[in-house]
Amino acid sequence: MNQGMIGAPPDRPRWRRLLLNRFVLVPGVLALVVALWNVYVGLHDHGRVAGRVADAAGRPVADATVVLWVLDFTTYVETSRTTTGPDGRFVIHDNPSHNIQIGAEKPGVGRSTRIPVRLYFRAEDVTLRDPLVLKGRD
Amino acid sequence: MHRYPRWPIHLALLAISIAMLVPFYWVLKTSVTGENIFSYPPSLIPHAPHPFYYVDVWYYIPFARYFLNSVAVSVLTVAANVTLNAMAGYALTRDFAGRRVVLMLFLSCMMVPFQATIIPAYLITGRLGLLDSYLGLALPQCSTIVCIFVFKASFEAVPSALADAARIDGLSDWGIIWRIMLPLSKAAVATNVILSFIWSWNNFLWPLIVTRSADMQTLPLGLARFLSYQEDTTGALYAFCIMVLAPGILLFLLAQKEFIEGLAAGATKG
Amino acid sequence: MIWCLLAPSLAIFLAYRVLPLAWNVVLSFEDWSPLHPARWIGWDNYDEMLFDDDVFWQALWNTLLFMASAPIAIAMALGLALLVNADIRGRDVYRTIVFLSYPLMTVAVAIIWRWMFDERVGLINYVARSLGLVDRPIEFLNSFDWALPSVIVANIWQTLGFYMIVLLTGLQSIPPELREAAAIDGAGAVRRFWAITMPLLRPAVFLCFVIGMLNSFTSFDLVYVMTGGGPGRATELLVTYIYKLGFAQTRFDYAAAVTVFFFALLISVTAVANRLSGDDAGAMRAD
Repeated sequence: MNQGMIGAPPDRPRWRRLLLNRFVLVPGVLALVVALWNVYVGLHDHGRVAGRVADAAGRPVADATVVLWVLDFTTYVETSRTTTGPDGRFVIHDNPSHNIQIGAEKPGVGRSTRIPVRLYFRAEDVTLRDPLVLKGRD
Repeated sequence: MHRYPRWPIHLALLAISIAMLVPFYWVLKTSVTGENIFSYPPSLIPHAPHPFYYVDVWYYIPFARYFLNSVAVSVLTVAANVTLNAMAGYALTRDFAGRRVVLMLFLSCMMVPFQATIIPAYLITGRLGLLDSYLGLALPQCSTIVCIFVFKASFEAVPSALADAARIDGLSDWGIIWRIMLPLSKAAVATNVILSFIWSWNNFLWPLIVTRSADMQTLPLGLARFLSYQEDTTGALYAFCIMVLAPGILLFLLAQKEFIEGLAAGATKG
Repeated sequence: MIWCLLAPSLAIFLAYRVLPLAWNVVLSFEDWSPLHPARWIGWDNYDEMLFDDDVFWQALWNTLLFMASAPIAIAMALGLALLVNADIRGRDVYRTIVFLSYPLMTVAVAIIWRWMFDERVGLINYVARSLGLVDRPIEFLNSFDWALPSVIVANIWQTLGFYMIVLLTGLQSIPPELREAAAIDGAGAVRRFWAITMPLLRPAVFLCFVIGMLNSFTSFDLVYVMTGGGPGRATELLVTYIYKLGFAQTRFDYAAAVTVFFFALLISVTAVANRLSGDDAGAMRAD
């Protein structure tokens, strides 16, 4: 019962055969992907949520209050708030979660709907693409 | 040879393949879109897929913990299985007083399903103080008769001249197993590894009985518990399903040949 | 030295197969409780089981029904094996697809099918309604009539691949010269099948029956996760009943009695099947 394990075929060195064996290659690739992903996560998990606030006409709104709600089991709980700068942009620094909602309001201009934001991992740094639009009168 | 049109066969097989794959597709689709949980009629193509249910599952349940437990128990089971079964298989190839009795014993043990022993097995494991431990989880599965016979058949195919020569040279039985028999029985080892791994990985009843604390639970237990907490109100359950199925499917696809041959050999060798 | 090699395996089997059987028998004749030492009570547990316990009879009936579904699955698998055995390209792909469901975790399979049979959004109901078979969705897993067949369908889906592999192995071990010789002699395809293929497949079919029976007796995972025993006790199997008696009600003594009955039934059905297929057919042979 020769199973062919004695000596490597002359045209391929043994370490190469071992490496290309599917039982080594597949877990190895998986481990590599997991390691790279963890490195990416480690580099991007400061909890920064950035965005901007605009009014119904599209003009940036300064001094609007932006509120962050974080999912706590089944409900969203407010955890921090900040105000927009003169250009209507804001940055929240301490988001701990992967499932959050963001809303903005400014008395006299209006209030935006609460936008749900789903992240790929906890405290992912994210910049919201669309502005929070304030509507209606408060 | 026969000449008959091939396309009806292809058609029939294609239809059956689709029928067999539909449940997978459906679960995958729901885990990625969250549709079809409340809406009706269900849609065939996913709209707006997103991976966020997987993120939810990752943080909501201790998936890594369950995975680790399952892996630990399975590795323990596989290592014990290969060792113990090889030893027993080798012993059965030698002639000794009482061999027939032992063979009869093994064969009759094959007819005893695990489910007929759960209560005393629980009591025994309790007396041994092994409840809620990796060893306790692995112990009943540490040797399987089917695999012993697979090893036995494989060892019997090794020409006895090799073993005899080694024995004359002074090699002990233990050495014979490890140096001569096992390297020549790669297929049997593969069968053993795969069969015992799958049985241990998928085992639900024994972990259900033996684990007491939440962080010793294995994957099947975690999945069943999740179902009872969450019901089917969210795509997260189906994402969990897919996460649980993925290693099994991956392993199967990797080791298909060994798997099928191993199962066929294990089943037919009695 | 030989015995040293055998000792660990023997110890495990003695501890987890032989001893439990004997202990079950002993337990079934006792009144066991964590509160007081065990007392011998003779046949009382069996009396209760056979004469006072409707759940036991329901579970027994369900188990027998489950067992009776195995031939259906085997017949389907035989058809599949014949198809896959034909000389077509891609047969390995088909074989893999059909077999894919077998090595999966039964708990996950149960959840998938639980949802396929769901009355609000399940796929089965949707297909039935689209095809116009029914007007209103059927509550498969909640109805006394449909629950057990639903579980059986899920079980067939999972085990079809295994039967197919066993039958395929059997088919491939039939030398093609036999069939060719018969074809030359003028036998048609159907005649060839019944006269040559089936007799040579008998060991494989018998093996499938034994495995199917064992599977229907031991399908705890599927039933427990899919229906938990069913609406009322409609899908309660002997094995789930034993689990509930032992670990939900902690009635180890009564559960042991049911286990003894369960095991005796299993052995007798296997013996009958063995006898019916001509004694000692197939796998169980000591050499």
